[in-house]
Amino acid sequence: MDKQLELLQGTLDMLILKAVSLGPLHGYGILLRIQQISKDRLEIQQGSLYPALYRLEHQGWIASEWGESENKRKAKYYTLTAAGKRRLQAETDNWNSMADVIAGILGAKPEEV
Amino acid sequence: MLHRSRMEGEMDAELRFHIETYADDLVRRGVSREEAMRRARIEFGGIERVKEEGREARGISYIGELLQDLRYAARILRKSPGFTAVTVLTLALGIGANTAIFTMMNGLMLRTLPVRDPGRLVEILHHGPDEPEPGFNGFSWDAYRIIRDGNHVFSDLIVGPGVNFAPVRADKLQPETLFVGAVGGTFFQELGVRPAAGRLIGPEDDHVGYHAPVAVISWSFWKSRFNLDPGIIGRQIVVGDDAPLTIVGVAQRGFYGLNNQAPQDVWWPQTLGPSAGWGLGLLARLKQGVSIEEARTEISVLSHRVVNAPDAGPYVRTMQLRVEPAGNGVSTPLTQMLSTPLTVLMATVGLLLLLTCANLAGLLLARGASRHHEMAVRVCLGAARARLLRQALTESLLLSTAGTALGIFVAYFAAHALIRVFTSGRFIRGAPLHFEALTKPDAHVLLFAGAIALLTGLLCGAVPAMRASNMAPGYALQPGSRIGETKRQRLLGKGLVASQVARSLVLVSSAGLFVGYLSHLRNANLGFQRNHLLLVTLDSAHSGYNAAQLSQLSQELVTQLDTIPGVSSATFSGMSPMEGPGAASFASGEDHPEKQSQASINYIAPDYFETYGTPFLAGRDFSARDQSGSPVAIINEAAARDCFGNENPIGRHITLSHITLAKGERTYEVVGLVGDAKYNDLQQPAPPTIYADLLQQDFIGSQHSQLAIRTRIDPDGVASAVRQIEADVLKDVPIVRIMTMNEQIDSSIVPQRLIAMLSAGFGALGALLAAIGLYGLLAYTVARRTHEIGVRMALGAAGTDVMRIVLRGALWMVCSGLAIGAPLAFWGKRIAASLIPDLPVASSLPIVVAVALMIAVGLIAAYLPARRAMRVDPMVALRYE
Repeated sequence: MDKQLELLQGTLDMLILKAVSLGPLHGYGILLRIQQISKDRLEIQQGSLYPALYRLEHQGWIASEWGESENKRKAKYYTLTAAGKRRLQAETDNWNSMADVIAGILGAKPEEV
Repeated sequence: MLHRSRMEGEMDAELRFHIETYADDLVRRGVSREEAMRRARIEFGGIERVKEEGREARGISYIGELLQDLRYAARILRKSPGFTAVTVLTLALGIGANTAIFTMMNGLMLRTLPVRDPGRLVEILHHGPDEPEPGFNGFSWDAYRIIRDGNHVFSDLIVGPGVNFAPVRADKLQPETLFVGAVGGTFFQELGVRPAAGRLIGPEDDHVGYHAPVAVISWSFWKSRFNLDPGIIGRQIVVGDDAPLTIVGVAQRGFYGLNNQAPQDVWWPQTLGPSAGWGLGLLARLKQGVSIEEARTEISVLSHRVVNAPDAGPYVRTMQLRVEPAGNGVSTPLTQMLSTPLTVLMATVGLLLLLTCANLAGLLLARGASRHHEMAVRVCLGAARARLLRQALTESLLLSTAGTALGIFVAYFAAHALIRVFTSGRFIRGAPLHFEALTKPDAHVLLFAGAIALLTGLLCGAVPAMRASNMAPGYALQPGSRIGETKRQRLLGKGLVASQVARSLVLVSSAGLFVGYLSHLRNANLGFQRNHLLLVTLDSAHSGYNAAQLSQLSQELVTQLDTIPGVSSATFSGMSPMEGPGAASFASGEDHPEKQSQASINYIAPDYFETYGTPFLAGRDFSARDQSGSPVAIINEAAARDCFGNENPIGRHITLSHITLAKGERTYEVVGLVGDAKYNDLQQPAPPTIYADLLQQDFIGSQHSQLAIRTRIDPDGVASAVRQIEADVLKDVPIVRIMTMNEQIDSSIVPQRLIAMLSAGFGALGALLAAIGLYGLLAYTVARRTHEIGVRMALGAAGTDVMRIVLRGALWMVCSGLAIGAPLAFWGKRIAASLIPDLPVASSLPIVVAVALMIAVGLIAAYLPARRAMRVDPMVALRYE
C-alpha cells in the first residue's frame, strides 16, 4: 500500500458530498466508501467525520433519515440534497482550477519567471 | 428542550452504531469481540469530544446556551454574596420606587374605562380665569341646548353624572356615604352599558322640571349590600335628602361610572330644564374621522353664544369652554391635584434609577477587572467574543431580575404608605374615595416592571460586558498587567464618585430642610394647646331634635363628659382649629363703622377657651346668663386691633355683616378678649376671629358640631367612654369621627408630610448610592494595587500607614464632591425658599449636618477596603503578580 496521504484541510466536506452523491450512506459507510474510492490511499480520522456530517446537514447540503442497516441495526442514512449537488459541482470546479494554478506555479522553470 | 434531548439521544445512537459496526468488521477479520470493541473505541477517539464538536457544528439551541449562562452567572454571584446582596437591594429600591409611582400613574391616568369605544369619548368643561385646571363639568339647560343643536362634531351629546357623594339609606341597611349621580336618558345606551337585572335609565325617563323617582344601582353595590337578591327590583332607596327612589335595575358587572377613584353606586334620572341650574354634566362622542382639535375649534365658537346668553352673570362671561378626552376617566379635582406631582415624581425616580444604573455599572466594571485573567483564559480556549458578551450580560440581567422581583414588593408597600398618608388629608376625608385602583398592579404595571428589569440589566451590564469581551488575551495574561487603565480612566472613576457625593449632598441637605420644616410646623406656637385634646364630630342633621332640644342636650352632654376620670374640661363649637375653612364675615367696630375688616367666625359654647388652652387677656367667658341677654361676642387680639386700635374693647360693640349662611347685620357686645390662635391653616398667621355664643344664636343643628375634650391622660383612653355617654345622651346623633388634635393638625399638612417623607427617602437612597460607589472604587483600587502595597510594607510601612493612604484617598474624593455639592445645595435652598413661603432657610444647619453625614458615610465605605489593604501580607503580595 502506498503511503497514505494526509487530508488537506477543507477537503473532507467535498469528499463526504461526493461519497454521498453515489447513494445514501450511514456514517460508517461514508468512511468505508471514501477509503474504497481512494483505493486506501486516504485515511480519515474517525472522530472528525461526524462533526463534518452535522455541519453539512446544518448547512443543508445533505439530509438524514433513520433506516435499517445491513446488519439489521438502526442507522442514520445521509443523502445529497439538490443544493448539495450544486455545492459539490461548485467545489469540484473550484478544486480543479486551483489545481491548475498551483501546478502552473510549481512547474515554472527558472527562466520563465 | 425535548428537541435537544432527542438530538442527544440520536447522536448517541449514531455514534454507538458506528463503533459497533466497525467492531463487527474487526470480528469478521478474526479479532475477538472484546478486543474489537476496544480497538473500535480507541480508534474512534473520545466520544464526548466528538459529541461536543458535533453539538457545536449543529449550533446548539439558544435556550441551551442561555441556561448554561444562567447557571454560570448564578454560581459567580453566589461566590460573592455581599456584592450580590448590595446590588440586588439597591436595584430593588430604585426599581421599586419607579414601579410604585408608575402603578399610581397607571391607576390614575392610564386605565381606560370599561365602556363602548372609550377612545372617542370626550367631556366638555368650563374654566374661569382663577380656577384650577382644567375646569368643571356642569352646564345650564341653555348651554346644553346651544351645544346640542349647534355642533357638527359630536355624534352624541350625553348628559352625564357629576361626581357627587351623598349618604344613601335603604330599608334594613346601614346608611353609608357613596358616590352617586344623575344621568340623562342616553347615558347608559351610548356607553354601551347593559343591565344585569331589570332595566337601565333610558330616554323615557327624561323629563323637564322633575325627575322620575327611579334609580339604578351598580353591580358591586347589589352584590355587597343586597347579596344579589333577585327581589332588588322595586326596593326603595333614599339618597341624601330627596324623596325615595324605586330601584328599577342594576348596571352590568364592572361598570362604575366614569372615574376610577370615585366609583358610583347609584344613578337616577337627571331633571332637565332650566331648574337644573348649572348642574348638567356633558359628555360627547366624536364622530368618526373627527379629531379632538376640530371639536375644540367648534366648541370655542359655540362658547361665545353660551357665555353671551342674555341671562349670563358676570362669572359666566369669563368662562372658556374646553373639550378634553374622557376615555381614561373624567377629570376631578383629585386627578388634577395628583397628576402633576405624580409626573414630577416619575421623572425624579426615573432619574434616580438611571443614576443607580451608572453606579452599579461602575461596580460591575470594578468586579470585572478582577476577572480579566479568567476571561483571557476563556478567549484563549476558543470562546467567541459574542459568547463572552452574552454571558456577562446574563449576569447583570440576573441581578436586575432579582432586583425587580424584590422591587415589586417594595413598590407595593411604598404605594400603600404614600396613599395612606395622602388619604388622611382633610379634603379627602369623608369622601368614600377608592384608591385601590392606584395601588393595584395590572398588566401594564407588570409589563413596565419587566421592561425596567431588562433595561436596567442592559444598562448596568453593557459597558462591563464589552470591556470583558474586548481585551486582548495576551495582554491580560501577562503577569502584573495594569489592565488597560489609563490615567484618564482613573480620573473618570474618581470623578464619578465625587459627582455622586455632590448629588447625595444636595439630596440629603434638602431632606434635612424639609424634615426640619415639617417639625417646625408641628411644633409651632398655635395659640392653643394641641396635646391631650380629643375632637369629636357630630352630625345632628337627621336627628329629629329641634334647636332648643339640641342646645339643652349638648349642655347635658358636656356636664356628663366632665365627670369622666381623666377629663379636665369639655366644650363644643361649630368649628375646631385646622378643621378646614369656616364661616367668615366683615366686622367693624362701633366707632368706625365704615372700616370693615375680614374676620373668621366661630360659634362656641362656654369653656371653649379653657378646653383649648387659649389664654384670656381681658373680660370673661360666655355663661348661662348670656343665653337670654343681648348678643355677646369674644374677640381675639387681631380683631381687637383691627376694629378698636389700642383701646380696650371690653364693653364696646362690634357689627358683623355679610356672614356666610346668614343675611343682614348683627351687633354684639364684646365681653372678652383672648389671645390669637391659628384657625384654618398652620402656615398663615392667626386671623382676626370673632367668637359668638353658640347657645345664644341657636346655631346648633345647622352644621356639624365639634365636641372638644381636654384630657389629663392619653386622649385615646377616654374615647370609648365618650362614645358611650354621647350615645346615651344624644341618641340619633351619630359620631362622624373621633380624632385627636394632633391628628387633625397632621391631616392639614399632608403635602408637607409627603414631601418630607419623599425627600428623606431620596436622601437616604442618594447617600447609599454614594457609599456604594465609593466602596466599589476603593475596593477595586486596593485589589489592583496589592502588589504595590506589598512592596511598601516590605520596605517598612506599617499597616496603619497603608490604611491612612486608603482613607486619605477616600477623603479626597468625598471632599471634592462636597466642594461641588455645597454651592449646589445652597442654591437649591434658595430656589425652595422662593417656592415655599415660610421655609426656615435662615439656618445652614441642614447643609452642615449633611456634610458631616457624607464624610461619615465616606469613612464607613472606606473602612473595609482600608482594612483589607492593611491586612496584605507582603510575602503573598509580592508573589502575586
